[in-house]
Amino acid sequence: MQDTQLLNEGLALMGVGMGFVFVFLTLLVIVTTLMSKTVGRFFPEPVAPQAPIRGRAGAPAGQDDDVMVAITAAVHHYRRRHRR
Amino acid sequence: MEKLLTLWHGSGLYNLNLGQAAMILVGLVLLYLAIRKKFEPLLLVPIGFGGILANIPEAGLALSALDQAIEVARPAVLQQLATALGASLDPAADAETWRQTLKGLTQDGAAPETLRAARDVAVGVGYGEGMLYSFYTVAIASGIAPLVIFMGVGAMTDFGPLLANPRTLFLGAAAQFGIFATLFGAVGLSALGVMDFSLNQAAAIGIIGGADGPTSIYVSSVLAPELLGAIAVAAYAYMALVPLIQPPIMKLLTSKREREITMTQLRPVSKLEKVVFPIAILLLVAFFLPDAAPLLGMFCFGNLMRECGVVERLSDTAQNALINIVTIFLGLSVGSKLMADSFLALETLGILGLGIVAFGIGTAAGVLMAKLMNAMSKMPINPLIGAAGVSAVPMAARVANKVGLESNPHNFLLMHAMGPNVAGVIGSAVAAGVMIKYLG
Repeated sequence: MQDTQLLNEGLALMGVGMGFVFVFLTLLVIVTTLMSKTVGRFFPEPVAPQAPIRGRAGAPAGQDDDVMVAITAAVHHYRRRHRR
Repeated sequence: MEKLLTLWHGSGLYNLNLGQAAMILVGLVLLYLAIRKKFEPLLLVPIGFGGILANIPEAGLALSALDQAIEVARPAVLQQLATALGASLDPAADAETWRQTLKGLTQDGAAPETLRAARDVAVGVGYGEGMLYSFYTVAIASGIAPLVIFMGVGAMTDFGPLLANPRTLFLGAAAQFGIFATLFGAVGLSALGVMDFSLNQAAAIGIIGGADGPTSIYVSSVLAPELLGAIAVAAYAYMALVPLIQPPIMKLLTSKREREITMTQLRPVSKLEKVVFPIAILLLVAFFLPDAAPLLGMFCFGNLMRECGVVERLSDTAQNALINIVTIFLGLSVGSKLMADSFLALETLGILGLGIVAFGIGTAAGVLMAKLMNAMSKMPINPLIGAAGVSAVPMAARVANKVGLESNPHNFLLMHAMGPNVAGVIGSAVAAGVMIKYLG
């Protein structure tokens, strides 16, 4: 008899616990989504690319090409070695 | 000759009993697993070593002053203790019987005042609290060590992937089913008469399924301190085994097509969102579940220090120096609970068995939830990331990534899996709060 009571309590705790975890995280999903929307609407990030563009313009164009060549060669080499 | 005999009687070898020998062996096995097999070495090294220290005969490192006095004091002192406890000792019996009687008296819920009086007697004749006992009192019994570690974990956590795709929080919620299913399993075992767990103990065992060491230790220190050693060992051992336990379950529940699903790239998340998020969690906790406030409060505090960007030094301390210091004491304190009389029991086997079931069910629930979400939403969701909903940060996310790469070598799921992964940390802390509210 005491055993069934223990089982019932276990079952109750399982229901309450799982239910609450879901309710809480659902609330968190709603709050997070709203928060992200608000932040995105009223406090948009200052357009990010601005600063990097200026930095890149300062670098000599030739160096950029060299880097591209090196990367392409490395990628090529990697793909050849790791095929299958 | 008599002097030699005294020396021999005081030696560890003479006083070593079978239980202590077995526990020292357990400690050595833990050290082996940590050092050779690299199982969560940061915790298992201190735990294993603490376990050995706690079982050194006659040293009583893990005993309170009173227990120590009962264990080793002269008969005259034993008489004094008995008087303080309001009992008398049978003069015909020998000292060993007296010690047993006194042990029984202190364990069977003696009134706090008489216990305090007896402790005063023990301290008065020169016995002090054992070193590990003091560590345990300060670090775990007060609840501080797991909470400080949680702060450090918060300071290490990046909520970016979660903020970019908040719906992954559902996966973190689903994976907590492992906790509650295991709780029910433990209660069921008691009902069948196989084991004898109370509801509190069952809850503390279930939380192993949260795959979160500090949360497990915190909950069991509140609900079932007597099982803490076994629960902590099980929690950390299985966290190390995540890469072995999870993949078979993940593969069993998904088809190859599903494992190949590629997910759309996550949107960038602004800094302000990251700063506001921990505060939003904190407010929700404050409004709806104050019992989870210690855990989630510290977690959010750590995360805010990380994201706000004006307290670099504090954030750095929380995630490096402080968490390391606390880990040492937490490990040694857990080790102090590896005493023969409480650890060498059938219940420990039950806890280890239930723990692995908890992990398995949590993983399965996460994967199934992800399949459901994939079926219902327009945005594709790879079911593998559901398995990361059991916390075990970042191991579970890496496992999801690895299994995904096996099916499709160009499909990197790591960032997508970090979302459910940190959601799992929040989920298990919420589950812990519910259990403490319900049972505490």
